[in-house]
Amino acid sequence: MRHTAAKAFAAVAMTAALTAVAVPAMADPATGTVPASTDIVGAGSDTTQALLNQFSTDYNATVSGTPKLYSWDATGSATITPKSGAASITRPNGSGAGITALNAAGSSLDYARSSRGPQTGDLSSNLFVAFAKDAVTWSAKSGGHAPANLTTQDLFDIYSCTAGKTNWSAFGGTAGTIKPYLPQINSGTRSFFLKAIGNPTLGSCVVTGPQENQGTDPLLDDVDVIFPYSAGHWVGQANGHNDAVDDKGNLTLRSINGVAPLTASGTINSVFANPTYGRVLYNVVRDSDWNASPATTKSTALRAIFGSSGYLCSTAGKASTVSYGYLTLAAAACGSTTHI
Amino acid sequence: MSRHAVRIAAAVAGLALAATAASATSATAAPAAGSVVIHESNSFFQQAARAGIVAVPLPTATAGYDAASGLSASFPVTDGSGTLNNFFGGVSLGGGLLFVDARTGSAVSFHQLAFAFDTWAVTAVPDGSTTPVALFDPAGNNSITSSGGTQSLTADALVLDAEGARYLDSELHTTFFTAGQDVGSFALSYTPAS
Repeated sequence: MRHTAAKAFAAVAMTAALTAVAVPAMADPATGTVPASTDIVGAGSDTTQALLNQFSTDYNATVSGTPKLYSWDATGSATITPKSGAASITRPNGSGAGITALNAAGSSLDYARSSRGPQTGDLSSNLFVAFAKDAVTWSAKSGGHAPANLTTQDLFDIYSCTAGKTNWSAFGGTAGTIKPYLPQINSGTRSFFLKAIGNPTLGSCVVTGPQENQGTDPLLDDVDVIFPYSAGHWVGQANGHNDAVDDKGNLTLRSINGVAPLTASGTINSVFANPTYGRVLYNVVRDSDWNASPATTKSTALRAIFGSSGYLCSTAGKASTVSYGYLTLAAAACGSTTHI
Repeated sequence: MSRHAVRIAAAVAGLALAATAASATSATAAPAAGSVVIHESNSFFQQAARAGIVAVPLPTATAGYDAASGLSASFPVTDGSGTLNNFFGGVSLGGGLLFVDARTGSAVSFHQLAFAFDTWAVTAVPDGSTTPVALFDPAGNNSITSSGGTQSLTADALVLDAEGARYLDSELHTTFFTAGQDVGSFALSYTPAS
């Protein structure tokens, strides 16, 4: 079984490699570039940072003058100065941190990248603008002790550190004490994954720490590890949107409830991206900016970038979305807004 | 009582039992509810009328008219699955839609209307066919909200799908319909069965 699964994973990886366009991941505004005070600038989710960097490069090539689009990565220097004339802030790392920074008094951010939808505690004045779909599954080291498939209940038990459920042999894998890892606390992938598996009370065997979607973390180079992973980000990395750190490393994606996260051609399986394990990717804006009346330079720019007729939802934008591993949204579902 | 009569009586009793069970189930489970409202703008209505074309909602859909904003047709939600804000699943709608071209004397009617959350299109099955046709796509500014178990979508524009335009032109023998033609607006309210 594991041999067959390994072949399947290898086939998926091979297909992805064959279709790859080797474009290294980009990061932050280019060195020496200080976004103008009128530019559209955001931060937040790790999951979509590489794609937003691509959007920034491509969109800005179509715009003369300002506002241009910029995106600050989730990790890097401890602080960032989002745009010209703005105060330095702690670099937002993750969807939650990005949304918090967007809503901070005097915030110079214009949007927050979010890999989760609106939830209790968010402001009703935040509009979540949808642009793509992703799925979250679990990953494990290729050739390690984990099986090819786990059920939702298995995942709940593993992250609860339930007695009798702490060894891979209990799940059809090779004997070895399970090492359940989770991304850092502000990670949207973390909160989404935990909600999907039933919000277990985390057991003492669970370790929080690695940056999400970075299979290169030395902690994850272990035959007994299990780690949530964005299926789309993994595909994007396999498609060549990676670097020495932002890479899937030796981790491969595994099935849940018998459903594979990827198709044979290495794209997200739309059946897997169901309401439990599929998630919508957003950029969060302030309602007052988006719906300014009369329209302002900023509201016009936000809609030109994120709206249903904007760049992200254009043919070119959707091509980048696919290349980075995500599913596109049909028609005006792309650019639709929702809020708590 | 003959063996044949006994069999019939048993079958009837079985059906009655099944009906009772179904009734008991439906008494405790609320079916899917809500509606889709397709609003036909005065602009589109007048253009279509000038071309001799009218669209008429069929039962159990209902129609309304407002001089300022145009015609509206409301289709009841009869079933549904998935969730709107996950762009997964969709709703089935009651009623039908009849298109008539008075100039060519052609007509085509649709039933089994549905709105799919993944393809973001209103589809319908032409009478006499089993293959759905994508008729309309919500467009413009789309806003999704959720409150008290009810999911809602409002779209300030509704456009004709390319497939629908081709099909209607073909069936009505016209050249009136075009892909992306602005029809009006769209609203969905959906409460899943519980």
